[in-house]
Amino acid sequence: MSHPSMLISAYLDGELSRDEVGRLLDHLAGCGRCAAELEATQHVRTAVRSLPMMELPGGIVSEADPVVVPLRRNRGFLVGAAAATAAVVIAVAAFLTPAPTPVTVSDLNSRFGARVSLDPAFGPAKVVVPEIVEVGG
Amino acid sequence: MTESIPLTWEEVARVYGRKIYNFAYRLTGNQADASDLVQEVLLRVKKGLASYQPGSFEGWLWRITRNAFLDEVRRKNRRPTSPLPEEIDRWDAATSPAADVEYERVTLGEDIQKALLELPLEFREAVVLCDVMGLSYEQIATAIAAPVGTVRSRIHRGRKLLRELLT
Repeated sequence: MSHPSMLISAYLDGELSRDEVGRLLDHLAGCGRCAAELEATQHVRTAVRSLPMMELPGGIVSEADPVVVPLRRNRGFLVGAAAATAAVVIAVAAFLTPAPTPVTVSDLNSRFGARVSLDPAFGPAKVVVPEIVEVGG
Repeated sequence: MTESIPLTWEEVARVYGRKIYNFAYRLTGNQADASDLVQEVLLRVKKGLASYQPGSFEGWLWRITRNAFLDEVRRKNRRPTSPLPEEIDRWDAATSPAADVEYERVTLGEDIQKALLELPLEFREAVVLCDVMGLSYEQIATAIAAPVGTVRSRIHRGRKLLRELLT
């Protein structure tokens, strides 16, 4: 007589096909040895499943990656440090840049007025002929 | 079957940390080794998440855990080790009837744990994944990279050995 004992655990775990369940139950009905094995297997299965779930000891997760966890916490610090560095660079650049010399309207006219007046895009150059005044006679 | 997966390493640690620890504890039998194993697993998860292909996330996670455990076993087998301290708290059985009951429960738990540690590794991991972690045979097959038929056989033979050890 062949004993399908390998099916017993899978039966208890709900991992048998319908056909296999039928075959095992038919066998169990007439086999005291396999029925006893089913009962004993159920006991040990229940015992292992009754083991308590233990709490995770403190500190394991943060210790698992001492670099990454603090890095996440210090991300604000890194952003602040970058901003401070940028501010220093701007201040130094401003200090080293020479102060602009004062510019008068007549300077601008003399520099840019002529350029504009010579630019064909702005139409024919406007020539201003000073009035000639004879002095004396 | 596609499962939703945690997106970050921190989420894996938060959601699965305790389960990984319990798996590790039942495989190793002591808190210090289990804690070391959890840290190793989380580091491997962190490295592996970028290349993780959607599928059975738990199967992937438990495969990493058992591989880390097996690596540690191999490493220890290569060098002499000192005996591990007994870390399970002892109870004073004479204090009260409730303590008696608790003592029996703890003692039974110790006996089961000791019996688990006497199982060959392939039976121990199959039984723990099934009865402690509550995985299906298919998930266990993914975790240990073996056919479902092998899982079925190992679980049954593991329980049979446990039964003999506990009687």
